[in-house]
Amino acid sequence: MTRAAPTVKQRLERIDLLGRWGLILPAALMIFSFMALPMLVMALISILEPGNFGGVKWGAYSGDAYQKFILERDLSDHLVVNTDYLSIFSRSFSLSAVTTVLTLLLGFPSALYIALQPPKRRQILMFLVSIPFWTNLLVRTYSWILLLRNGGLIQSGLEVIGFRGSLNLLYTDFAVQVGLVYSFLPFMVLPIYTSLEKLDWRLVEAAFDLGANRWSALRRVILPLAAPGIASGCILVFIPALGSYFIPELLGGSRALMIGNLIQNQFGASRNWPFGAALSFALLAFVLVLMLLYALRFQRNLEAQS
Amino acid sequence: MNSSIVISNVSVIFGGGANAVKALDQVSLEIAQNEFFTLLGPSGCGKTTLLRCIAGFEIPSTGSIRLDGVALEGLPPFKRPVNTVFQSYALFPHLTVAQNIAFGLQERRVAKAEIERTVGRMLELVKLSGYGARKPAQLSGGQQQRVALARALANSPKVLLLDESLSALDLKLRQDMRLELKRLQRDTGITFVFVTHDQDEALTMSDRLAVMRSGQVAQIGTPSQIYDHPRSKYVADFIGDTNFLSGIVRDNRLETQSGFVPIPADLPQGSKQTVAVRPERLRLVSDGGDLRSRITQIVYMGNETMYHLEGDMRVRVPNNAGATPQYALGAEVGLVVPLSAVQPLEDAS
Repeated sequence: MTRAAPTVKQRLERIDLLGRWGLILPAALMIFSFMALPMLVMALISILEPGNFGGVKWGAYSGDAYQKFILERDLSDHLVVNTDYLSIFSRSFSLSAVTTVLTLLLGFPSALYIALQPPKRRQILMFLVSIPFWTNLLVRTYSWILLLRNGGLIQSGLEVIGFRGSLNLLYTDFAVQVGLVYSFLPFMVLPIYTSLEKLDWRLVEAAFDLGANRWSALRRVILPLAAPGIASGCILVFIPALGSYFIPELLGGSRALMIGNLIQNQFGASRNWPFGAALSFALLAFVLVLMLLYALRFQRNLEAQS
Repeated sequence: MNSSIVISNVSVIFGGGANAVKALDQVSLEIAQNEFFTLLGPSGCGKTTLLRCIAGFEIPSTGSIRLDGVALEGLPPFKRPVNTVFQSYALFPHLTVAQNIAFGLQERRVAKAEIERTVGRMLELVKLSGYGARKPAQLSGGQQQRVALARALANSPKVLLLDESLSALDLKLRQDMRLELKRLQRDTGITFVFVTHDQDEALTMSDRLAVMRSGQVAQIGTPSQIYDHPRSKYVADFIGDTNFLSGIVRDNRLETQSGFVPIPADLPQGSKQTVAVRPERLRLVSDGGDLRSRITQIVYMGNETMYHLEGDMRVRVPNNAGATPQYALGAEVGLVVPLSAVQPLEDAS
């Protein structure tokens, strides 16, 4: 009895299975070696004791790094609550949140304006929005120093119209805020514009036809339909802003630290790698919780829509 | 006539300078209260532009539109007592059917209970009770169309504007919706202004219709006036199938290449004239007749047979079970042209 030859379907299934794994493999390797592996190393470092000159003491496990985030030992060796790091976290959070709100307030009208232009002008305007990407962000941040510092362009400009005295703009939360809003604005405009560009403007006409004025049409038709773009814009701005490093480094100096600076410090001057790693994981956990909340909310919206 | 809408000398010019396009050119017409009025014409004739002028989406360059005696100039779309059923329906995808229908009422700050009642009544009117909680994407094209209708009618507008509202439906559904629209118009007592390029729709539904051509009104009348008495070659050609006969007026007859056609007495002697005759009004005979011609093609169409004749003429003969004589391809036949079927056209040749 001869063995039954595999049917076409079986053959296709076999190729399909092989092909599927073969196609996933490169991506899986990338993710493992450039994301999972480094994170495992970081996780390991975060539960080790710090070495005396940077690095870690291998084999010496300790939960101190995570404890240090909230508690510290006072002179008499008692554990007391230390809010220094929490305050840096909360400053980072509020700076990022305000950045998100401000970029949204500036970005939505801009995106709406661009989306309402004739196609040719739309292209030109979107090109203008992308122009900042042509120059290194570091260089652009340095130029903000030139603008904001005492005796800088802003102050000199004000002196021309009679202002005397110093503004002391640079190295403040304000300067960091300006820098964050400036650098993340395009990341808010682009996704919102994309969702508005796809919007069927006849729906807005229908809203007008049904008695909605401009404000009502915006609130009841345009905003709900642009919601996915607004959501991705907020994520694209908030999360990188939360982890931003050199904008507060350059514009905030030592007075306006953000989480990014704190983490960098642990791997640099403070030579406490485990604490730096623990801070990174605290930040990661915080972002994951936020994303989870967002995903749950968005899912509910999707369910409500279907 | 108790006029609902009075349109006087409305022109719309798109663009400027050398590229300016006259979408509407001095259009004047009146639409009566509770009338089913149709704007008919090919694409680009300005019918939709005129509708958008009434809705307020287009601002006339000149002229005025009055609704129940009130000038609409300067009123934005959301302040006009008119509602539109859009060609694409333009239902809000993020809202349910009921929320879509309630949209206009909510804008007018109608009480919640009242809104609920109206939405229920509207769903019933368009036979979609029980569909209120669905999203537009879950409905068929015909159902979406009815939701769009309900959404517009819920605001009890003085005028309902329908922009090619049936063209996206398939034939069967379209025919059902024609009857439905007509029923709704009778039941609600609202003035309907309907835009279409489909002459069948225009003829079957309208109380009156305006045939439009390149931004101007070519003719206004009841469907039978337009069909039986087209004034121009354009209207005769656009509505239904037509034979055009040209010749010289002699002794109250039209002398054509293939014979003499009776014509009304008031046409000037010796002038060049074209008349329109509908194919179903002509009669085929073996001997005699006003005109003589030869059959070039026979098309059997079930209820009738279309004979194509030399000289670009067509005759429709009803098929009533062999009672009418059949003619063979290539046969020489005579055509009887009744005087009542002859419609002289205003434009020469």
